[in-house]
Amino acid sequence: MAPIIRTEGLRKVYAVGKERVVALDNVDISVEKGEFCCIVGQSGSGKSTLLNQLAGLEKPTRGKVFIGRHEISAMTENELAAFRQAHLGFIFQSYNLLPSMTAAENVALPLMFKGMGRRERLALAKKELKSMGLASRVNHLPTEMSGGQQQRVGIARAFVSRPKVIFADEPTGNLDSKTSRQVLLRMLEMSKKDQITFVMVTHEPSLAACADRIITILDGRVQSDVVPPEEERLRRRQALADELARDEAEEAARAEQENAGSEAPDAPAARQTTSAADAAAK
Amino acid sequence: MKIFDLIALSARNLSRRKGRTALTVIGVAVGTCLIIVMISFGIAMNQANEAMLASWGDLTQIQVYGNGTVYYSGSGGSVAVGSAAVGGDDQPAVLNDEMIATFTKMDHVVAATPFYQAYSLNGTITAGRGDRYSSSLGNAVGVYASAMEPMGFTLASGDWMTDTGSYGRDVIPVMVCEQTGYNFEDTRKSYNSSKRYRWYGQTDAAGNLLEPFVDVNKEDMTLTLSNGDAENPKTKSWKLKVVGSINPDTAKGWWTQSSFILRIQDVKMLQEEYKDLAGSNASPYGTDTTSYDQVYVKVDDMDNVEEVDQAIQDLGFSTYSMTQQREAMQKQVSQLMLILGCLAAFSLLVAALNIINTMTMAIYERTREIGIMKVLGCALGKIRLMFLIESGFIGLIGGVTGSVVSLLISFVLNNLTLIMAVLGGSGGGGGISDMMSMMGYYGTGSAVSVVPPWLVLLALAFATLIGLVAGILPAARATKISALEAIRHE
Repeated sequence: MAPIIRTEGLRKVYAVGKERVVALDNVDISVEKGEFCCIVGQSGSGKSTLLNQLAGLEKPTRGKVFIGRHEISAMTENELAAFRQAHLGFIFQSYNLLPSMTAAENVALPLMFKGMGRRERLALAKKELKSMGLASRVNHLPTEMSGGQQQRVGIARAFVSRPKVIFADEPTGNLDSKTSRQVLLRMLEMSKKDQITFVMVTHEPSLAACADRIITILDGRVQSDVVPPEEERLRRRQALADELARDEAEEAARAEQENAGSEAPDAPAARQTTSAADAAAK
Repeated sequence: MKIFDLIALSARNLSRRKGRTALTVIGVAVGTCLIIVMISFGIAMNQANEAMLASWGDLTQIQVYGNGTVYYSGSGGSVAVGSAAVGGDDQPAVLNDEMIATFTKMDHVVAATPFYQAYSLNGTITAGRGDRYSSSLGNAVGVYASAMEPMGFTLASGDWMTDTGSYGRDVIPVMVCEQTGYNFEDTRKSYNSSKRYRWYGQTDAAGNLLEPFVDVNKEDMTLTLSNGDAENPKTKSWKLKVVGSINPDTAKGWWTQSSFILRIQDVKMLQEEYKDLAGSNASPYGTDTTSYDQVYVKVDDMDNVEEVDQAIQDLGFSTYSMTQQREAMQKQVSQLMLILGCLAAFSLLVAALNIINTMTMAIYERTREIGIMKVLGCALGKIRLMFLIESGFIGLIGGVTGSVVSLLISFVLNNLTLIMAVLGGSGGGGGISDMMSMMGYYGTGSAVSVVPPWLVLLALAFATLIGLVAGILPAARATKISALEAIRHE
């Protein structure tokens, strides 16, 4: 099967003052259709630059980027806009929701650019938000939501138009570890469900470990390009899910204990639940 | 992306920063308002001028003068003097029936008629028992009978005279005017007695209007020519038959109020008879039957008067028409308008700079949003359009506000005296009319400011255009923003 994303001798040089900084050097990678791919590396390694090249947000200095049969590195800005509208989705570290729009309107944005009617696109957006567990937040503004909620709106926005490829730049970078795991699992689940190719930049090895393909960038070069065996991947994902479930249970218990503590001073029942949750986690 | 979504987005963005939008809109509104009010002054001035000219004379009538005597119009207009001679034979152009036929054949000419005033014929028109009441023949005029209706005269009663109609032997057909009867004097009273005369509007001691001595529509009248020789008097008389009476039209001349209107062929006959009677005593003036001193030419439309006027002047005649006055006045008004319009245009220019500033600020503030939209696949053209719609909206809202305000201003100016009276101010209304007369406005109690609907529409379109044009640069800047830079922008 032909890879959906492919680069040929990709090179990107930035001019910083009089210095020339080579951000990417001779990168040849390929991502298969439906793959969940993580690009990892230390900060400054060039992983974000690579993502920007792949998504056509920046032109490479040299080399080519293909998505499907299209050479996006050769497209004009208008062609790119049309291509992004039709085939790509984006998730950002800083969510990048439009502050004046409600969650539903933000999610509906790509559909609006496609020319879908307001009623229809808002209905789709609400459905998408519901599947992200944000049914009660559809009419909230971004400022009225927590970071995790905002990022889930961002994810809904990327998935709502069912693109071929979704690019995510450090989507969990601003989230705590529990929310990060939540968000990652959600992205995994959704991309697997619709066979959407997913390319994510992250510096958290524990999250990257769950990916189908892990590309490690160091100083602008591909250090390693690993496809872990399937059972390994599934095991790691299960571990992540279990970890999350335990954390959630703990939290729920703690919340209940606090509630019980405030409502009834003697709370043997609460203690009992906590130990039950612990047992369940083990 | 649907245009409706773009408009909704633009409107939302504008309402997000109400304060700034409002300030920018006020700028446009002030400019629009100034332009409308200034132009409305000009329109009002032109209308007032037109009304004034119309009261002075028929705007579609040209008076043509023969090369003999030049008459000046009583209303103070000047006479354009054409070249003295014309044609290859160097003969002075003659204002005769053939020439009038030439005028009539010109494009846009509706009718033409000689206008003869019978000052020079020594004679009287008499009525009453023993010819007690008498009027000078100087009150008689001669015209083409068939030209009267096309010239724009209207019948008050009776019929028009016809050129070919037979009215009987020694009978002259005549048309009269509303006040023709007041021409008669009572010859039994002394010249010094006020009872010898009656005039229009005169009342008796009880305040009742006095009728003229003679009811010209009913009583028999006689026209008598005399040689004026006291020792050897010779006279000749004709009966007058009143065919009809016309409504007065002072725009065509005061004579339409109180003349005896005769057919030109009867006038010529009277001229010949008078020459026979008076012999060598007859004045050479007014007895020349081969040419006319004055001809009236009626043109179909005000806009064609100048063309016809010029054509007649080219034939070698002096002419007078209201168009000459009208053009001078319009030129004056348009010069004034140009100055006022420039002032207003400057304020719109400032408003446009304001819009540019506002839109540029908006784009800086929304750099990140623009970036997000670009990354999500919004076409560049749509982003540009969105900002153009925004700036166009500012222009349009400003235009609407300005129009409403200017309509209010116009209303207040036009009713200033009334408003001042209602507010109890004394003499406050003088300020504006003083100002207006300084600006060359001839205050005749008409509107100071006239705002026709087309002016409002034009102003709206212009304000919107200003907004759109002012938005071009900022919108272009918005499309140039790098998406990647923009989404990193905090």
